[in-house]
Amino acid sequence: MEEHEQDVVKSNGMNRQEFLTRASAGVLGATVAGGLGARAAMAAAPKPKKGGTLRCGFGGGSATDTVDGDNVINNMDFARTYQLYDGLVAYDQNAHVRLQLAEEITPNKDASVWTIRVKPGIEFHNGKPLTADDVLYTLRRIVDPKKPLVGAPTLSYLDLKNAKKLDKRTCRIPCHAPFASFVDTLPNYTYFISPVGFDLKKPVGTGPFKFQSFTPGRQSVFVRNENYWDGPPYLDSIVITDFADEESQINALLAGQVDVINFLSAPSIATVQGRSGANINIATGASLLQFTMRVDAKPFNDVRVRQAMRLIIDREQMRKVVFLDHGILGNDLFSYWDPVYDRSLPQRKQDIPQAKSLLKKAGYENLSIDFITAPMGQGAVQMAQVLAQQAKAAGVNIHLRQLTVTNFFGPNYLKWVFSQDTWQYFPYFPMVAFSSLKGSPANETHFGDPTYGKLYKQALATVDVKKRTELAREMQRIDYEKGGYIIPFFPPTIDAYSSKVHGLKEGKTGVPFNQHNYKRVWLS
Amino acid sequence: MWRRVALSVLTLFVVSIVVFSATQVLPGNAAYAVLGHSATPQAVQALEKQMGLDRPAVKQYWSWFSGLFEGHLGKSLVNGESVASLIGPRLENSAFLVAVAGLVGTLLGVLLGLWAALRRDKPVDHVLSVTLLALTSLPEFVVGIVLVLVFAAVLFHLLPAVSVISPGQAPWQALKLLILPAATLVVVTVPYLFRMVRAATIEALESEYVEMARLNGLSPFRVLVRHALPNAIAPTVQVIGLNFLYLAGGIVVVEFVFAYPGIGQGLVDAVSDRDIPMIQFSVLALAAFYVFMNIVTDVISLVATPRRLFR
Repeated sequence: MEEHEQDVVKSNGMNRQEFLTRASAGVLGATVAGGLGARAAMAAAPKPKKGGTLRCGFGGGSATDTVDGDNVINNMDFARTYQLYDGLVAYDQNAHVRLQLAEEITPNKDASVWTIRVKPGIEFHNGKPLTADDVLYTLRRIVDPKKPLVGAPTLSYLDLKNAKKLDKRTCRIPCHAPFASFVDTLPNYTYFISPVGFDLKKPVGTGPFKFQSFTPGRQSVFVRNENYWDGPPYLDSIVITDFADEESQINALLAGQVDVINFLSAPSIATVQGRSGANINIATGASLLQFTMRVDAKPFNDVRVRQAMRLIIDREQMRKVVFLDHGILGNDLFSYWDPVYDRSLPQRKQDIPQAKSLLKKAGYENLSIDFITAPMGQGAVQMAQVLAQQAKAAGVNIHLRQLTVTNFFGPNYLKWVFSQDTWQYFPYFPMVAFSSLKGSPANETHFGDPTYGKLYKQALATVDVKKRTELAREMQRIDYEKGGYIIPFFPPTIDAYSSKVHGLKEGKTGVPFNQHNYKRVWLS
Repeated sequence: MWRRVALSVLTLFVVSIVVFSATQVLPGNAAYAVLGHSATPQAVQALEKQMGLDRPAVKQYWSWFSGLFEGHLGKSLVNGESVASLIGPRLENSAFLVAVAGLVGTLLGVLLGLWAALRRDKPVDHVLSVTLLALTSLPEFVVGIVLVLVFAAVLFHLLPAVSVISPGQAPWQALKLLILPAATLVVVTVPYLFRMVRAATIEALESEYVEMARLNGLSPFRVLVRHALPNAIAPTVQVIGLNFLYLAGGIVVVEFVFAYPGIGQGLVDAVSDRDIPMIQFSVLALAAFYVFMNIVTDVISLVATPRRLFR
């Protein structure tokens, strides 16, 4: 854990512009997996070997699977799209944003016009060179009003109609309003760069592996891109198979039928650990698995009830029960790895007398309320069960209603009064845009504090990192006092792999294996 | 006979309407399933329009139904691929697994049943009867998991633990992958058949005409094959038919345990994705199998019971 803290302190000291202008590869190589990741025998062996097929048995897919890098829906899609495509920027192993295909992304002085230049000499899998046209094509395809893709809402500030190509590799995009969080928004898995005239039947990107075959809900195959701009990968190919069940994933790994598996539950750690030939990987990521309270609905429209609920939870006990002490303790704030994350706010702890008195003042003594849960991620339902148990101490009676995942994300999603949700890591401002403003696409809590919104607007017009950080801190104090989220902890990402596999790293965003990065992975 | 076939077609038609109505009652639709987490009202609306889900239900059903007569089964709502190309291979996988498990199970059940009947009240009979009775009480997922733990994942590493058949690969090209799922299905279907064969054969062996045949000095083998067996066939065929019907349903669990890409797994996916054309075709295929198996078993037992044939 200490190593993580150090990483973060270091990055706080370094300014954002410095991050962005550094070559991505250099920094990536210099950072070392911290804490548990390093302990899990992940150090690359000395002599990598070329060749071989990495067989992945992954969960979270279905017939909705896609290979569209700008319309990713489920957890399986990440595994595929990170092979096929690159973004203008990407997260490094510490979840910091680095340039990837872009050589430069620069704002004007109020962040209302952005200039993007892509690196020279990069080719798509079909041999077409990467140009500014592809960047504009991709962005326009995402926000197309007739058929908006999933990433459209968070790019609504861009005025792509008036965007201009300046030269072969450079384009300039004006914005409807200042958009200082543009670069932080871009590493999202919904913004991969595809070439002009992208055809989903023959998906082409600039990524380390090329498309070979794909059957939704079953299997996909990718082969090495010899021409990869960042150096060709060692592996000949990657075969990704959909698994519907954790038990069969583990059995397949133990029987040597697959080499890597992902998204395991905490009890599986013991099943895999100690077996010869298999290693477990427990990443202290900062994806979200949060409780949500609707701030515009009874009883949570009274801020005291929200504060009471946050005090009812024994976070350490909940983490122990659900994730066997793995994961980072939360403080009801999101975006843990963002340099703007406020670590100075006191860690919230269980305080039953205080919670009881808040509830009494609000007139909700002996509160009885429904909670909607669904197995949306490992540990989600167990968390809800622990919550119901712990709430009894404050006289709060929580009735769990468990739905299937499909029903949960059906027509009533974003309308549940007291529920939960899960997201992978996003930097602070994009996460705010996504979740906490009036009109945000995933505003589960119906949060729309006017001061908060004003501060956000101000921050988006502030290019100076220090000043913007101050504004973010002010916003986080509002999250901390009045927000509708309860973030008891950031869940770990638990993955396992065969001891034949070398060079796997764990990232911090909640996406397995450092964003499914198999560029430097090899088999012995 | 023709009446029977006409009734079957009618049954399938009714099934398709019932299933379609059921999909309309489920909360959410394919647009929500596809968008999942990203289901903003605007995105859902756009996608519903694209998928044709904004049309009235009757119209949606009609366009699917009329499509059948033009020879196309429609396209999956969630990924746009044709239903035939998605379900065809799954159907093949499941059919092959059911056939293998069904044939092995039938053979084993009949032989063991005969053996036990001939050795009635001897140790062999007791051991077989008790063991198989114990096995009937185990659900298929328990049998499957135990087999995996013993033969694949933990104790021995002799067989594959999961049976992932790659797209484009036919199940008979990967027979090793079929051993454990087929064995699981055999273990859960044999006991019932065994008991039936044993009981029917014993009953036949105790009958007066077998007694007569024996007194006439015929060899025990001839008595069994020529006189006892024909009378045990009719009830046995019914059980074999039932076993096959059971397999068509029981395979869902086994496919799940072994990650076997069959129609059961596909149907589970389709329901959770609210993918109506996929649900319709999967259910119809299963229903057609039921209807077909019922007719086949009826015909066989009819043929095996001459007195009924001529009535």
